[in-house]
Amino acid sequence: MSDNSVKTSGKRKWSMAVDIDKCTGCQACVVACQSENNIPINTEDLFKQRRAIQWIRIERYWEGEFPNAKVRFIPLLCQHCDNAPCEPVCPVYATYHNQEGLNVQVYNRCIGSRLCVNNCPYHIRFFNFWEPSWPDSLKNQLNPDVTVRSRGIMEKCTFCIQRIRRTTRESDKNNQQLKDGDRRLNPACVNACPTDALVFGDLNYVDLDTGEKSKVAKLKEESLSKNGRGYKLMGELGTEPNVTYLKKVDADSGHSSHGGDSSHG
Amino acid sequence: MILKLGMLGVAGGIASLFALVMLVFVITAWFGMPLGIFSVVGFNHGPTQPIEFPHDVHVNKIGLDCTFCHRTVTDKAAASIPAVGLCMTCHKTVGGDKEGVQQLREYYSEGQPIDWIRVHRVPDHVRFVHEAHIRFFSGDKNVVTRVTNPSSQITITDALKIDPNIKEGETITVGASQVCSTCHGDVTSMPKVKQVRPLKMADCVNCHRDNNAPTDCATCHY
Amino acid sequence: MKISRRRFLKLFGGSVTAAAIFQACGIPEKELIVEAPLEMPEDMVSGTDNWYATLSPGESVSSGIVVRVMEGRAKKIEGNPDYPINQGKHNVVAESGLQGLYHPDRISSPRIRRGDRGEGKWEEISWTDALSRISESITNLKKSSGLVLITDPLTSHLSLVINQFVSKFKAKHIQYEVIEDTNLRWAVKNVFKQDRIPDFDIDNSDYVLSFGADFLNTWKSPLRYSRGYSNFREQSIGHGRGTLVYVGSHLSLTGANADKWIYVNPGSEGILAYSISYVLLDKYASELNISDKKDWLKVLSQYSPSKVKEFTGLPESQVEELAHGLAKHKNPLVLGGGTVGAYTNGMQNLEAIYTLNVLLGNLGKKGGVVFNPILPIAMDGFSDLSPDLANSSRIDELKSGDLEILLLRGANPIYGTPGFKSVLSKTPLIVSFSGIMDDSAMMADIILPENHYLEEWGSDIPNPGPGYPTIGFQQPVVRPVFEKRGIHLGTKSFPDVMMALAEIQNIDLELNASNYENVLRNMTDELFKLNRGSIKAKNPRDFWNGVLQRGGWWDVDDKVSNHKIGSTNGPRELTPAKFLGDKNIYPFHLVPFELGSLTDGRGANLPWLQATPDPITTVTWSTWVEINLNKAKELGIKEGDIVKITSEYGEIEAFAYPHPAISPDVLAIPIGQGHESGDRYSSDRGSNVLSILATDKDKDSGAWAWASTRVSISSTGNNLPLSKFENTAPDLSVDAHGHIIKTTSGESK
Repeated sequence: MSDNSVKTSGKRKWSMAVDIDKCTGCQACVVACQSENNIPINTEDLFKQRRAIQWIRIERYWEGEFPNAKVRFIPLLCQHCDNAPCEPVCPVYATYHNQEGLNVQVYNRCIGSRLCVNNCPYHIRFFNFWEPSWPDSLKNQLNPDVTVRSRGIMEKCTFCIQRIRRTTRESDKNNQQLKDGDRRLNPACVNACPTDALVFGDLNYVDLDTGEKSKVAKLKEESLSKNGRGYKLMGELGTEPNVTYLKKVDADSGHSSHGGDSSHG
Repeated sequence: MILKLGMLGVAGGIASLFALVMLVFVITAWFGMPLGIFSVVGFNHGPTQPIEFPHDVHVNKIGLDCTFCHRTVTDKAAASIPAVGLCMTCHKTVGGDKEGVQQLREYYSEGQPIDWIRVHRVPDHVRFVHEAHIRFFSGDKNVVTRVTNPSSQITITDALKIDPNIKEGETITVGASQVCSTCHGDVTSMPKVKQVRPLKMADCVNCHRDNNAPTDCATCHY
Repeated sequence: MKISRRRFLKLFGGSVTAAAIFQACGIPEKELIVEAPLEMPEDMVSGTDNWYATLSPGESVSSGIVVRVMEGRAKKIEGNPDYPINQGKHNVVAESGLQGLYHPDRISSPRIRRGDRGEGKWEEISWTDALSRISESITNLKKSSGLVLITDPLTSHLSLVINQFVSKFKAKHIQYEVIEDTNLRWAVKNVFKQDRIPDFDIDNSDYVLSFGADFLNTWKSPLRYSRGYSNFREQSIGHGRGTLVYVGSHLSLTGANADKWIYVNPGSEGILAYSISYVLLDKYASELNISDKKDWLKVLSQYSPSKVKEFTGLPESQVEELAHGLAKHKNPLVLGGGTVGAYTNGMQNLEAIYTLNVLLGNLGKKGGVVFNPILPIAMDGFSDLSPDLANSSRIDELKSGDLEILLLRGANPIYGTPGFKSVLSKTPLIVSFSGIMDDSAMMADIILPENHYLEEWGSDIPNPGPGYPTIGFQQPVVRPVFEKRGIHLGTKSFPDVMMALAEIQNIDLELNASNYENVLRNMTDELFKLNRGSIKAKNPRDFWNGVLQRGGWWDVDDKVSNHKIGSTNGPRELTPAKFLGDKNIYPFHLVPFELGSLTDGRGANLPWLQATPDPITTVTWSTWVEINLNKAKELGIKEGDIVKITSEYGEIEAFAYPHPAISPDVLAIPIGQGHESGDRYSSDRGSNVLSILATDKDKDSGAWAWASTRVSISSTGNNLPLSKFENTAPDLSVDAHGHIIKTTSGESK
């Protein structure tokens, strides 16, 4: 190969769009993520101690009571905030924002101070309080592209950085543009979601053949416009998340949500 | 005069010795080589392999390319050690008088894989990809004095090593095999492979900085 | 000079140790060795992955998956983008297949029981030994019908093989489902005059009314419907955002996602359907072009909204609104299933519900009920599960018949059918093909562990199909995990074993193939000769490769064009549902429901599935009972209380979960736990709600009416922490309006 230039339309900025109206709450993304990222098995004890680890989780909110009860599902994952509150507080600089817009967690640098968990307003960071273990035969399933974290390490959604690294490198090697929506690039959760409620891509993407923007860029632009359904989760905190949420549509006109009871017991 | 060493004195002695070792450790670690060469596998002495495979014979004398055996270096993360079957393509007929070849044939006929001793190793938390590095250094390069855009340029000093007649401003083609010695040293002259660069993080990061390669942590640690 | 291997080790053992000391501090010796294999297969280079297409079995249909294989190990499962059923998507069940493949408690060789049944004492035996024992018993059969085979519902090639086996051996074959679909199949046959369950085109619909069918989660083909749901909700598509209304006695996942959930008294859903039909004929007949059916009003007049209020509990306006919604939308669609089909009048209910589609005129239309054609080839002929004999009745038959040898495969009737244990005590020989020690295998005499589906050949003709002929193909993506135990031990393929049994008995199955893989190959030639469809090839061999590469064969151009279904049966009077248990002693309706993770209980041995929170309650690893919040307060029951649920048939214990969205008259308990099995994840956990259900049958079809039990609840006084996910993270409550901000859609229903 004579030309080592990277075939991309510009610097990448990874982003995700989550359509709450399409999310059915089925948990396919949760298990896909656990499979891809070597997440420890959440035993009954972990749940009872409220220490279960799910890099992407479906939060369930209640509104009202029988017979007018409504259920709301919202998938919650690392927002990869441009102004992340978790980054400045790490005493060893184990988490930082990289040039592609990702909030990176460097496992080998983490000393487990948990200051980042404390600071994250979305609570998407999880700490390994115990050493993860699998029965020997189940270790065959572990993904070699992803580090297996030990006790004392923080972990969280990485937008499947191992897939990003692999596919960008391969597309560079073949001197071809990495196309938007490539299933080898998409994080595991995005590929799993049966209703396509999760959309992932590069905000700065321009298709070198057609000039089209990425699906996520279009969704973001269109939804954050005046009549769009888009919003940033707790955007008023100023964290500048890279995840755009699309509001749920409620056909009962005039009905607005009042905080609601989020859980019982 | 008898030096009276009380318990406290002995303890103090041990503690200060320990402190000295720690100081040496920290200083050498700062410069990327904790405790120096002792802790690096294969450094300055190649480990003894199950079969004494001489690179100098196969590369210098016979003229095999690095990529003839280490086939995936331009493709994948690992350079890969060839299968025994590859060796046998020649050695089922050639070299039967050599002890090493006889050992090889025995391995193959008994259906035994060969357990080579690893010479170069980076820790588990590092993901090193050969392909990207080979791609970066090889291919058609413009010969310049200083490297400003490294992906398509090469310094005159390095170019001269490949082609002594090359001049600045010309283009030179760097084969994949010519890149290997950057990190692995002059393997072609080694009867026993040994590690010549420390390959600690400082080594990697310095080279990355010099060549405008990414210094993002997530490049290698994720 | 010949040097022995031992000397090699001695020679370099030294330098390895030296290196280990220096590098040391925790690096295992194996990290210092790079093994050069004998020959280098292409995907054995470290770091390379290959994706292979195969199928993942589901409760009703298999989904097409692609499996990532690295160095001979399966690492990740994703949906096959080509396969028409799931179109690249997958769910928690498909994902967890990997844990089934590498499960620590997989049975790695045939076993014979030592000790009493259920004691769990086994001895390993060879395949030859096991098969000869079974063969001997077959030879000594008093009656050929004493050989009974209970399997999961089979389609395509496997069905072909087993059908040949059963007919040549003159044995009995029962296709077993825990949550049986008999009533649905009858409704489809009687109302639509079809043998195959149709495809429900939610994708192109704009108004879906579901009576109890949890189609986003567990009902029939949830992945396909979820894919369709995505477009259904998509605002930018022509019809705008679709409206989903769910009628049911329990808030299922589909109900949670519906725009409106309507609760009616359990058992009255059929009445509601007829009530809506009445309004449609009464008010919208000319609009819907159904004036020719006005004579139906004779029967339907007793179901007018005002008359049925006392049965359903619904005000008239609500019924009118539903009818209005159906009539005014361009592509309405009505579905029914779940508990609605599981009362003693379940079949009638479903018939009433599906008749609505006839009135709405959506048969064979986009966004409506799309029929599935049948292919004119042998393997398709065996893919219909006849509704004529509900499997519950057939299981009952077993109790009175002379059962000599029972072969169980893919079926766990000990768990799924209360009272099945009585059948066992009369059976001299029970053989289980289960690869893991489930409840039925625990009671077997001989276990012949079959391969995991990722190690297997196979095919599936999905029912319901996608509206055109589809045959999925399954191939082994990894070598069998227990292959290293040699050919006399390890696991084997179920159809191969059956074919071997036939050969030992000198019975020719007339399959013209030596093993199952060849059965598939041979039959695929028939497909090739059709000369149409998704795979274009010049010869059968290329065709075979193409089929395996894409994961199947389908023909999108072959659709059912004839939608004239002849005369539809008019409505008939509905028999009210009967509930077992005196209302005064047992005040609650018990609604057992399936979870997307455990489904009918088969998922309980997989840790990922156990750890998947129920989306609505977020509870994991346990059995809980959902009780209305206020009712719980009234009875003094708090979350985490261990309560006893008692029916006329038995009692179980469960965690109480006070729930804001359940009727005070209903208690809902998930199916799936309470196994008496031998694997570490499913045993000693939770309770089996199926064990306390009434065994009453549907009065028309004989299907098990599993939603017809009444129960009472009482506290045991114990309280334990509940294994659930909510409250693991603090709630997002920053935004004053609630963090999920809603907008209203432009038009109302």
